[in-house]
Amino acid sequence: MRVADQQMYGILLGNLQRSRLQLLTSQEQISSQKRVTTPSDDPSAFGQIVLDKSALSQTTQWVRNINFGTSRVNAADQALGQVQNLITRVRELTIQAGSDTTSAEGRQSIAKEVRQLQRQLVQLGNTEVAGQAIFGGTKTDVQAFTISSGDTVVYQGNNETQSIAVGENQTVQILVPGSSIFTGATTNIFDSLRDLLTALESNDRVGIQAGLGGLDLATAQISDAQGTIGALANRLQVTHDALDTATLTITQSISDNQDADLATAITQLRLQEVAVQAASETFTKIFDSSLINYLR
Amino acid sequence: MSGLNGLFGIGSNALATFQRALSVTGQNIANVSTPGYSRQEITLSESLPENGQPGQIGTGVTATEIRRSVDSFVERQLLSSNERVGQFGASQKALSQIQLVFNDANDQGIAAGLNEFFKAWQDVATNPADLTARTVLLTKADGLTKLLNQADAQLSAQRTSLDGQVQSSINDVNALASKIADLNSQIKLTEISGQHANDLRDQRGRFLNDLAGLVEISSIEDSTGQVTVFVGIGQVLVAEKTVYTLTGVANVANNGLLDVRYDGGTGPNTDITSAISGGRLKGLIDARDTTAAGLQTSLNTLTSQLVSQVNTQHRLGYGLDGSTTQDFFTASGTAAGTISLALTDRQKIAASSTAAGVPGNNVNALALSNLQTASVAGLGNTTFQGYYSAMAGSFGATLQGATRDLQGQEILHDQLLAHRAEVSGVSMDEELINLLKYQRAFEAASKLITTSDEMLQTILTLKR
Repeated sequence: MRVADQQMYGILLGNLQRSRLQLLTSQEQISSQKRVTTPSDDPSAFGQIVLDKSALSQTTQWVRNINFGTSRVNAADQALGQVQNLITRVRELTIQAGSDTTSAEGRQSIAKEVRQLQRQLVQLGNTEVAGQAIFGGTKTDVQAFTISSGDTVVYQGNNETQSIAVGENQTVQILVPGSSIFTGATTNIFDSLRDLLTALESNDRVGIQAGLGGLDLATAQISDAQGTIGALANRLQVTHDALDTATLTITQSISDNQDADLATAITQLRLQEVAVQAASETFTKIFDSSLINYLR
Repeated sequence: MSGLNGLFGIGSNALATFQRALSVTGQNIANVSTPGYSRQEITLSESLPENGQPGQIGTGVTATEIRRSVDSFVERQLLSSNERVGQFGASQKALSQIQLVFNDANDQGIAAGLNEFFKAWQDVATNPADLTARTVLLTKADGLTKLLNQADAQLSAQRTSLDGQVQSSINDVNALASKIADLNSQIKLTEISGQHANDLRDQRGRFLNDLAGLVEISSIEDSTGQVTVFVGIGQVLVAEKTVYTLTGVANVANNGLLDVRYDGGTGPNTDITSAISGGRLKGLIDARDTTAAGLQTSLNTLTSQLVSQVNTQHRLGYGLDGSTTQDFFTASGTAAGTISLALTDRQKIAASSTAAGVPGNNVNALALSNLQTASVAGLGNTTFQGYYSAMAGSFGATLQGATRDLQGQEILHDQLLAHRAEVSGVSMDEELINLLKYQRAFEAASKLITTSDEMLQTILTLKR
């Protein structure tokens, strides 16, 4: 078999170029620390990365939603705690007013304090977060409760609730309308207070004692609402924890598909360096062995 | 002629012959790295002997022919290998360019744009009364439309650039065809007188290989040494010294991109675009009309579904100002190149399911952000992201395949070149040995002449 010069140089050049190309690929992987940067690097991995990144963006968004929801729910929870304290105070005053020994003047001054407390209660019902009423249903742009005539309080909101997305097709309610807390289901707390005030001012002892029953119902109703809101806060927290785990898993999956395995890449790089070196050395050796070096 | 004069004759013949042999060696050495050069060999044989006593006596050496060493089988294989290298090389290069559309690795791509868009909708759903979230949504939505516009423009630009390459390849084909035709007549003229047109044939072979790299050809050689070259489905490109041409003709049905037409002498009226099955032209046309166009179609499908799904849901809701049945995206812009935002007023973003006055209602915004995970019938029951991911994946597989094809073919091509070099390549060592051999022979032949001369002198002195 003849061996022509073109063969030797051609094959060597081809091998050298291929080795260099592989060397370049390894260098790119090591410097970018990424194995997959374009679809053709690994088509199925690229597709999976796109999907995983989408999933990751969803979970981070859900966590963001939950953080927002938690702040709303916590604000409501705090307000309701204060409402409970207020009602307890009113109850103490009512018991005092209902006693035989309390005079008509005494009942008048108690009425003043109760009215003060009632105004505070209205304020709590109008609690706002970032300028939005949190007990007005989805009518967040107006005050939830206004005092119309005398001691009558009117609900300005609606009965709608708001839910936020916390997972795929999963929502959690982050808003309990004031209509189901203050003026709602069992008793209208504001009406009870109004009636109590009338009874106090008209020195109506029977009316005052009837008011006590209304206050007990009010306490129960607020506790109910606190329970509901507590459960919502709990669900948000549990979902948050689950999402944290999911985020870790997805991040790991993206990394598995996308990131270069440095140990392997560096080993590859070393091997390819040796290949390039060997090819280059062969080049000079071939030149040395040419007959031309021996003809003088 | 026998006797001393005969010896002179043998000597001078030998001198001339070895000089010729040295020239051939010189030609080989000089062309050691000329691409497509075939090693030449001089064939030496004895001259016709003369009758005499006690028998025939030799009259020296003569050079009968100078031939080139060629293996026509390897040459044919090289020709078709060139076609494939040309095709795969062109596709691989074109697809690598097109791949720039998918810059999702840096979170700058369409996938990221879709994510941002739906995230912004969720922010609006979470806090529907917040004007900032609404402004962000409009910005993100606008960003998404820009990304789609850009991708489409990028693909169109790629197709135009490929089209330019189609035109220049056509020009190259025509230029090569006329060179081959020229060489055809020169070879015929040379060989009709019994010579071997070694160097002309090498040149023509090189042009044929170049031509095969551009477009798939087949060729046959006739008895006068001229080749007939066919392209497409048996269209004659070169017949003896006649050249027919290929022309790029704009096809209105294909965005004015060029069809390859064959002009058989009666005008460019035979469309051979789809008949081209190899060479650079094939790679370019495939990338232009199949891959890039396919991506555009897929992006258009994605866009039109996005526009219709988002608009349908958006029209059901109410803005902060009570507006309803509003389009979110411009209804007429259903292609990746034309998608645009219809809504400019953040108040009109229809987050609510009821008329004005309930800024906290987020029912419609929730429904809209749920589109992110919804299976869309128009996308083959996948999500927007799923569709995009499959599209990127299948493109990646195409490019990966093209790269592998090219690498495989290049290795095969190298092997064929090595085979060719084995037969036709110049070996420097071999030529150096020949050089020495012929030099020594030349020296010996001159010695023959001086010896004859001395002998003649001896005879001439006899007379004194």
